[in-house]
Amino acid sequence: MEYRLKINAEIVPVQADEGPENNLKIAMTGQQFDVDWQVIGDNMIHLLVNGRSVNAYLTEEDGGKNITINGLTCRVEDADLLEQNRSRKTRPGDVPSEVTPPMPAVVVRVMVEAGDLVEKGQGVVVVTAMKMETTLNAPFSGKVTGVNAAAGDKVMPGEILVDIAGAATGEVNSE
Amino acid sequence: MFDKILVANRGEIAVRIMRTCQEMGIATVAVYSEADKKALHVLTADEAVYLGDAEPAGSYLNMDKIIRAALDSNAGAIHPGYGFLAENAAFAEKCEQAGLIFIGPPAKVIRELGDKTMARRIMVKGGVPVIPGMTRAEADPAAMAEEAEKIGYPVLIKASSGGGGKGMRVVNGPEEMEPGCIAASSEAAAAFGNGAVYLEKYLERPRHIEFQILADAHGHVIHLLERECSIQRRHQKIIEETPSPVMTPELREEMGKAAVAAASASGYVNAGTVEFLLDREKNFYFLEVNTRLQVEHPITEMITGIDLVRRQIEIAAGGVLDLSQQDISGRGHAIECRIYAEDPENNFFPSPGRIAFLKEPAGPGIRNDCGVYEGAQVPVEYDPILSKLVCFAENRDAAIQRMVRALAGYVISGVKTSVPFLMDLFQSKAFMSGETFTDFIEEYFADWHPADPPADLAGIAFIVDEMYSKTRVKKTMHPTGNTASPWETLGNWRG
Repeated sequence: MEYRLKINAEIVPVQADEGPENNLKIAMTGQQFDVDWQVIGDNMIHLLVNGRSVNAYLTEEDGGKNITINGLTCRVEDADLLEQNRSRKTRPGDVPSEVTPPMPAVVVRVMVEAGDLVEKGQGVVVVTAMKMETTLNAPFSGKVTGVNAAAGDKVMPGEILVDIAGAATGEVNSE
Repeated sequence: MFDKILVANRGEIAVRIMRTCQEMGIATVAVYSEADKKALHVLTADEAVYLGDAEPAGSYLNMDKIIRAALDSNAGAIHPGYGFLAENAAFAEKCEQAGLIFIGPPAKVIRELGDKTMARRIMVKGGVPVIPGMTRAEADPAAMAEEAEKIGYPVLIKASSGGGGKGMRVVNGPEEMEPGCIAASSEAAAAFGNGAVYLEKYLERPRHIEFQILADAHGHVIHLLERECSIQRRHQKIIEETPSPVMTPELREEMGKAAVAAASASGYVNAGTVEFLLDREKNFYFLEVNTRLQVEHPITEMITGIDLVRRQIEIAAGGVLDLSQQDISGRGHAIECRIYAEDPENNFFPSPGRIAFLKEPAGPGIRNDCGVYEGAQVPVEYDPILSKLVCFAENRDAAIQRMVRALAGYVISGVKTSVPFLMDLFQSKAFMSGETFTDFIEEYFADWHPADPPADLAGIAFIVDEMYSKTRVKKTMHPTGNTASPWETLGNWRG
């Protein structure tokens, strides 16, 4: 069987062939893996990979799997499935260049007004979550075209708190 | 002795306190908010009283509701844990007025030591060395800047009623004074309901060393050795150990005496912690007294064998502390690290959510004071601490090795945690050689990036899971299966 996996950010083609009972021959990243596997529970798989013992802990999230091995976690998705899903959505790919809280938070202060010129990295909004204050910075230099939040507002990830028009491109970072 | 104690807290510390109560045959009452209906402390207690809103002001910080809950449930005493109302003198006073025992020092002592400037005056009087700085709070940044010129930059802005690192800012020059004051004061006001701030000389590369004290109501005071808590992020301790890698018997005796003097000078009763900064020349300065059970108390319990919560309860009940200083000796080495729901790859921003999978570390010398369970929700409203992982071994090197092993076996899915960061930290040369100063993180881990995860192995695990899940029987087909968390089933019969 052929798979295309997205492991963290990289697309990795994988060839997997079933061997004898509970055995797989896997070819990926130019290497051959002889894998004996045992499913221990809903979230745990034990592997013998080329004879080496590995405990993998898996949870499913947003259509992919978070896989923890030796204390480190990888995000693994089926790349083909991912592309199918993405083509159905109209929204373009992830744009990290937005002034938005990384988690549900409360606005403490807004430090800019519409019309202000901001430098990339300049603090524009301070939010607090779980008793920690965090400053959200301008993702690029430009002009503030809109302020969509005020002190005391509860805000969610994805909400654009400040619209900034980029100086170079003239693009408006808003939806 | 009390028949019943109300624990006015949540999370791992509430659970930890209840465990000792249970061992002492004392019934426990939990209080909980809207966000905590299924929280572990509620499931652990003998009784539980709903307080109200998830917002702390409507629940864990609401003194009247908590006192009413204690009276209605016939609890004789309230244990405040740490945080929330633990260092709130008004709350201790209200308990006294309501005929309830507050398990902690008297209200007057909390008030005086909680006012950091007043505490400094008490320590000066008691002959305890203090850091040069102001002895009064100041609201005007211009006046602060004037003081800073006298003390000499860099200076540290601190919250008068602070603790736990909230409301602190380092100021390197006059231009940073005003923004620093505003930020520190607003953080202090949000965290403690009091925005008053003052200045201290900022010591470069000190170590943070604190002494655990126990004092009974009959004037008997002892210390239970030191804890080094130098490794901090944003002035929040993240790793604590005892003994300190730089401690000598002579220095321990000298600092221990100062800690006992500090407790005596303030009329201290119950368990408390006297914090010091130790400079490169091994001069030590009084920092503050934490008038509560500390987050990091378990490491002291590990090396001394003394249950601090049990002692707190006995002292609060009027008991005599039947330990003398000579009875106290440390054995081995203990390290604690705090496991927060936070994203180490995203500036350690809190990462609330549902714990999708949890496997706690186990084995010799490992203690995990955990406040969550698989399936539990980590609410956004409170401190994101999930557990405190404590390792005990015969010496520091073995304790570090044990900690690395424990962390590698600690699986928490569904929320991001600091585990990968901590694994790298404990394996760093700087930590292993005891180069632990309060700027440790900035010095050695400012540009930290997670180690490359085992991508190939994860890919293989993914494929095995995909092939297996095709034949996986739907959970709904066998309701008696062992997949439901016991806490969820417990939740049902509790109603």
